[in-house]
Amino acid sequence: MKNRALISGIVFIIALSCVAAFAPLLSPYDPAAINQDNLLSAPSSAHLLGTDSLGRDLLSRIIYGARISLSVGLVAVGIATLIGLSIGCLAGFYAGFLDMLLMRLVDVMLCFPTFYLILAVTAIAGPSVFNIMLIIGLTSWMGVARLVRAEILSLKEREFIQAATAIGATHFRIILRHLIPNALTPILVNATLGVSAAILIESGLSFLGLGVQPPTASWGNILIESKSTLGVAWWITVFPGLSILITILGFNIFAEGLKKEIG
Amino acid sequence: MIKLSLLVIAFFISLTPALSQDHGDALVSASIADSRTLNPILASDTASSEVAGLIFNGLVKYDKEINLTPDLAESWEIKEGGLAIIFHLKKNVRWHDGYPFSAADVAFTYQKLIDPKVKTPYSGDFERVRSLEVIDDYTLKVVYKEPFVPALSSWGMSILPKHILEGQDLNTSSFSRNPVGTGPFKFKRWRSQEKIELVANPDYFQHRPNLDRYIFRVISDESTIFLELQAQGVDSAGLSPLQYLRQTDTAFFRRYYRKFKLSSFVYTYLAYNLRDEKFTDKRVRQALNYAVDKEELIKMVFLGLGQPITGPFYPESWAYNHNVKPINFDPDKARQLLKEAGWSDADGDGVLEKNGEKFIFTLITNQGNEERLKSAQIIQLRLKDVGVVMKIKVVEWSVFLSEYINKRKFEAVLLGWSLPREPDNYDIWHSSKTREGEFNFIGYRNDEVDRLLTEGRRVFDQARRKACYNRIHEILYDEQPYMFLYAPDSLFVIHSRFQGIKQEPIGIGYNLIDWWVPKKEQRYSRVTE
Repeated sequence: MKNRALISGIVFIIALSCVAAFAPLLSPYDPAAINQDNLLSAPSSAHLLGTDSLGRDLLSRIIYGARISLSVGLVAVGIATLIGLSIGCLAGFYAGFLDMLLMRLVDVMLCFPTFYLILAVTAIAGPSVFNIMLIIGLTSWMGVARLVRAEILSLKEREFIQAATAIGATHFRIILRHLIPNALTPILVNATLGVSAAILIESGLSFLGLGVQPPTASWGNILIESKSTLGVAWWITVFPGLSILITILGFNIFAEGLKKEIG
Repeated sequence: MIKLSLLVIAFFISLTPALSQDHGDALVSASIADSRTLNPILASDTASSEVAGLIFNGLVKYDKEINLTPDLAESWEIKEGGLAIIFHLKKNVRWHDGYPFSAADVAFTYQKLIDPKVKTPYSGDFERVRSLEVIDDYTLKVVYKEPFVPALSSWGMSILPKHILEGQDLNTSSFSRNPVGTGPFKFKRWRSQEKIELVANPDYFQHRPNLDRYIFRVISDESTIFLELQAQGVDSAGLSPLQYLRQTDTAFFRRYYRKFKLSSFVYTYLAYNLRDEKFTDKRVRQALNYAVDKEELIKMVFLGLGQPITGPFYPESWAYNHNVKPINFDPDKARQLLKEAGWSDADGDGVLEKNGEKFIFTLITNQGNEERLKSAQIIQLRLKDVGVVMKIKVVEWSVFLSEYINKRKFEAVLLGWSLPREPDNYDIWHSSKTREGEFNFIGYRNDEVDRLLTEGRRVFDQARRKACYNRIHEILYDEQPYMFLYAPDSLFVIHSRFQGIKQEPIGIGYNLIDWWVPKKEQRYSRVTE
C-alpha cells in the first residue's frame, strides 16, 4: 500500500487515542494539583513542558486535554452525522416538497454564523462538556445532509434500486440496506474533517471560558492563560497550541488519505 | 546653628514657588473600554466616570487624606441637627463656554437626578431630600426628610450646566458626547473606540492645569496595552501582578516609567445564596471559611500583591474593624464544624452527605476574569479536601447578571464590590434590599445589622458611626454570609517624565492639575491639528 497519508493518519489517530485512554498512566502528575512554590516554571526534567500559573504540570494537563478533545470531536460528529444522514436520506429519497422544505431548512441553518450561534447557546444553556458536544453536533450537520442527499439522488436512479423496488422492498429497507451503505464513503471523509472542526470549535469556546469548565483541562482552557503570560511563559502558549495544530493536521491527513484510497 | 538651619529652610520655601513648572505636553492613558457617555449623572461604568471626572466638579470632593473638602462649594453648614445643609458656593466659577456658574445649576442637577425619566443610577441618595431651596445665586439650602449622613458626600455628584441642558431630554441629548463642565479639562473630541481628547481649561478656578492635554486611548486588550507601554505609546496604564513583578522589572521600564502600588477600593468575595438549604446553617459557612486559605489565594493569584480582608470595608477605611482577626486556615476545624452541622461521609466516597444528599454545589463567576477563575480553582481544591464538591461555571457577564444574580438562580457566586469612600453599606446588607435587581441578592437578614445600618446613616458623630460599622463588621465575619477573600492592590505605571506626582491615601490623581513635564522632556507639542 502506497498511501502514506492514510497510514500516517491512522498511526496518529491510534497514538492519540492511546494517550487519551491511558491518560492516568501516562501523565506524571495529577493535572489538577496546584503547587504554590512552582508557579510558571520553565520546562525542566521535573516538569517536561513546564508549569502554569497555579503550578500545575502542563504535560499532564495536555495529556488529559486529549481526552476532552477526542471525545468532543467524536461525539459531536456522531450527532451531526446522524442528523445529517437522516435529513439527507429523507430529502434525497422522497424528493419533491419534502426535499424542498428540508433543503431550505439547511439553507437557513447555513446562514447563521455557526460560532456565534454556539456562543449564544452556551451563554444561555450554560457551559459543560455535554452541552458543547450537543451544540456542536446540532449546528454542524448541514454539510452531511447536502452530501447525502446528492449521493442518494444519483443512487436511486441506478438499476439495483429499481430492482429492489420491483421486488417490493419497503422504503425503509431500500434506504437502510441499499442506499446508505453505498453513500458511506463521502460521509466517512466528511466526518473525519468534521472531527477536526469540532476540536477547533471546542478549543475556541474553552479559550473564551465558555467551554469545558475547570478543573477539567482542555487544550482551549489551558490557552486562556496564554494571553497574559506570553511574555514570561512561552510554554503555556506553545505546547497546547502545538497539540491542537498536530491533532487537526493528523485528522486532515487521514481524511486526505481516505479520499485518495476509496475515491 | 539654629539660625542657620532656619535660614536654610527659609531659602527653600522661597525657592519652591519659583521653580517653574513648565506648561505643555500631554498625558496619554490607556483604557480597556471606551466610555459609554460623558454625562456624569448617567455614567455608571469606570471608563465613563474617569473621563467625566476631569470635565466636571461636584460641590464637595475628597482631599488627599480622604476627608470631604469644598469643590464648587466655598463652605457648608450643617443645621437643624443634621436635617439641613446650607452650601455657600464659589463665586467667579465659569462653565467652559464662559457662562457663570450659580446655584440654579445645582438645583437643576438635583431636579434631573430625581426625575424618574432620567436613567441615572444615582437617584437613591437624592430621594431622601425633602426640599432644595435656592436662597440666592451662591447659597443653597438642602433639607432632608430624616438625618442622612451620606448626604454631604452625595453632593460630590457632578453639577450640570442648566443654561445648556434646560428643556432637553438628558437620556438622548448630544451633551453626552459633547460635554461642557467646570472642571480642569475641557472636552475636545471623541473618536469612538479610539480616543477621547481633553484640553486644559485656562480659566479653571484653582489654576490652569500644567499639562496641555489629557488623552484617553481605548485599547481593548491588556497585552496590546503592554506592547504600547514598551513603545512608549501610552504614558499610564494598569498592570497585572505578573507584569508588575516580572515583565516591568527591566532596565527599560526602570528608566522610562514609575511603578505604583496602591491599595485598591475593591474586594472579592464568595457569596452564598442564603435561601439554599445547604447554606442556612452558620456553622457550614464558618467551616468553609476555615477550609480556604486566603494567604494562599493572594500568593498564587496575585503573587502576594494584595491583602486578606474580614469585612465589607476596604482596609484603609476608618470603618474597618481591625480587631476582627482573620481565622487561621484550619481544615480540621472545618471538618469538625461540618460534622456538628450534620454533614458526614457515611459511604466513604470522600464527599460529605446529610440526609442522603451529597454536599455538591456550583460556583458561578463571570467570563473574562482570569483572577477569579484561578481563585475558584484553588478554592475548589481546598473544599474538596474537607469533603465538599464545588463545581465551577463561567458565565458571560450580562447573562450572569440578568439570568443568575437578578433572578437569584445560583448556589454561590464569586464576585467583587468596588467601594465608595463612604462606608454606608445599606444597599448590600439591609434585609429590605432583596428585591430583583437590588444588591442584597444573597437574601441576608439580621435584625441587629438592619438596625445598625439605619443608625449608621442617621448619626453624624464619626465615633458613633465607627461603633456601628465595627459591630456590623464583627457580625458579618461571624455569620459569614460572604466568605470575604481579598483586596488586590491596584498596580499601574506612569511615564517618568511627569513631575509632581504624590502618593497619598486617596491615590495619586487628586493633584493632577499640578503634574508637569520639564520643557526639554516634553513629547507632544501643542499643535496637533
